[in-house]
Amino acid sequence: MADVRHHLTLYLRLLGAQIRSQGAHRTSFILDALGSLLITAAEFAALALVLPRFGGLGGWTLGEICLLYGLAELAFVLMDILFGGFDAPNLSAHVRSGSFSTFLLRPAPLTLQVFASDFALRRIPRVLLAAAIAGYGLLHAPLAAGPETAALLTAAVLGMICFFGGLFVIGGTLTFWTVDSVEAMNVLTYGGRTLISYPMDIYSAWLRRTFTYLIPAAFLSYLPALHLLGRPLPDGLPGWAALIGPLAGPLVLAGAFAFWRVGVRHYQGTGT
Amino acid sequence: MTTMPAPPTGGHVSRLSRLALPWAVARLGFRRQFAYPQAALWGLITNSFFGLLRVAVLLALFGTRPQVAGYTPQDAITYTGLTQAFIMAFSLFGWFDFMRVIHRGEVTADLLRPASLLGFWAAQDAGRALGQLVLRGLPMLLIFQVIWGLNWPPGPLAWAQVVLSVLLAWACGFLFRFLVNCAAFWSPDAVGFGRFAWALLGLGCGFLMPLAFFPEGFRAVLAWTPFPAMLNTTVELWVGVTGGGAAWAALGTQLGWTVALLLACQVTLRAGLRRLEVAGG
Repeated sequence: MADVRHHLTLYLRLLGAQIRSQGAHRTSFILDALGSLLITAAEFAALALVLPRFGGLGGWTLGEICLLYGLAELAFVLMDILFGGFDAPNLSAHVRSGSFSTFLLRPAPLTLQVFASDFALRRIPRVLLAAAIAGYGLLHAPLAAGPETAALLTAAVLGMICFFGGLFVIGGTLTFWTVDSVEAMNVLTYGGRTLISYPMDIYSAWLRRTFTYLIPAAFLSYLPALHLLGRPLPDGLPGWAALIGPLAGPLVLAGAFAFWRVGVRHYQGTGT
Repeated sequence: MTTMPAPPTGGHVSRLSRLALPWAVARLGFRRQFAYPQAALWGLITNSFFGLLRVAVLLALFGTRPQVAGYTPQDAITYTGLTQAFIMAFSLFGWFDFMRVIHRGEVTADLLRPASLLGFWAAQDAGRALGQLVLRGLPMLLIFQVIWGLNWPPGPLAWAQVVLSVLLAWACGFLFRFLVNCAAFWSPDAVGFGRFAWALLGLGCGFLMPLAFFPEGFRAVLAWTPFPAMLNTTVELWVGVTGGGAAWAALGTQLGWTVALLLACQVTLRAGLRRLEVAGG
C-alpha cells in the first residue's frame, strides 16, 4: 500500500515537472492548444454542417451520432494525454537517441516513468470540446436516464481509453525493433478512432466484422450505444455482449503490457 | 539583411539559362520524393483506409438519394478519391519547411543563391508536388478506380480545364502555405499559427466535405476566401458539377487568387527579410 502511494506521489511529481516545463513558453502553448482544438472542431463542423441537408446518416440522427463521435473523441484525447509517453514517435525518439537507457538507470519503475514522460496539457481544450459533443448527444439521443445508462457509458469511455492506450503501448513497443512498421499502427489507432466515431452499420460487412471480431473495436462503444438506444445488435449477438463489451479494452491493454515487457527485455540500448 | 541578392550578372543571360536553375531545382525536388518508397507505401495504405471510411460516410449520407447538390453517389466517390490523392501533392495537412529554414537561420544560404527566394521555393515545391502526385496521387486514383470506379472528365476540353485547374490549385496552395510560413519572420511560435491555418484550409478547401453540401450562408463566406481555389474548384471541374461558361469563370477565380496571393507573398517576404537577423557563427 505504501508502495502504491509512493509511486503515485512520484508520478504526480513527474507530471508537475512536465506541467511547469510546458508552461514556460506560454504563447506557444496557447497557440498549440487552440490549433489542435481547431482541427477537431473543423472535422466535426464539416459533418454537423452537412447533416441537416441529408437529414441523418444511415438512419442515425445528429444527436445519436454526437453520442458516438463525442465519446470516441473524448476517450481518445484522454488516452492521448495519459499514454502520450508510449506514442511511437515519442518513444522511438528516446530509443534512437539512447535516452531510454536513462529511464532504466533511475530508481523508479520504468513504466511509470514512460507514463509521465509526455503529458500533453495542450490537449485539454480538445477534451472540453469532445465532452461538449458527447453532452449534446446525451441530451438529444433517445436514452433512458438511469444508473444503467451512466454505468455503461462510463465503462465505454474507460474501455476505449484502455483499448487505444493498448494500441499506443504496442506501437511504442514495436519501436524497440523497427521504426518503419509504426506507420501501420496509425491505421489502427487514428483509423480505429475515426472508424468508431460513426455508426458501424454504414460500413461494408467485412470491414465491420474485422473491427468487431478480429480487432474488438465495435465492442467498446458501438454495441453499448446500440443497446442503450434500443436497437438490435448485429450478427444476432446476444444483449449481454453489449453489457460486457467495454471489457475488451482492459483485455487489449493487458496483452499490450505483456508485449511491452518482452520488448523491454529485448532492448539493448544504442551503445552510446 | 536588407538587400535581395543580385541576379546573375553574366554578359548574356539568355531566357533559357534563367530557367535552367529553377528546372534543376524542381527536378531535384521531384527526385527527393522517391528516397523512402517504404514510407510512401505505408502512407498510401493509411490514405486508402481513411478513403474507405470517408466513402462509407458519404454513401450513408446519400442513402437512396440519386443526387444531392449536383453530386451523384459516384461523384462523391470520385470526390473522395481525388481529395485523398491530392493530400500529399497539395500538402493539405500542413507544410512547415520554409518556417524551419527561417527559424534555423538557413534562409541566409537560400538568399545567397542566384535566384529569387520565392522562385527557388516555388520550383522546389513544384517538383515535390509532382513527385508526390506520381508516388501517392496516381496509385490512390488507381485504387479507387479498381474498388469503386471513378468518374473521369468527359472530353479533351474538360481534361484541359482540369489540368489547368490542378496547376492553379497547386500555385494557390503553395503561395498560401508560403505566406503562412512567413509568420516565422515575426514569431518563434509560428508553428502554432500554422496549425490554425491548416485547420481552416481543411474545412475551407473542401477536403473534409464537398463545399456544395454546406449551408448557403457558410458557402457565401467561403467564396470570399482563397480556400476553395486550392482544391474544391478542381474537384467540381473534374466531376462536372462546374461546367460550360462557369468552368472558365472558376478558372479565372483561381487565377485571380493566385495573383493576389503572389503579391501578398512578395510584400510579406520583403518586409520579413527586412526584419531578419541571423546570428553568425
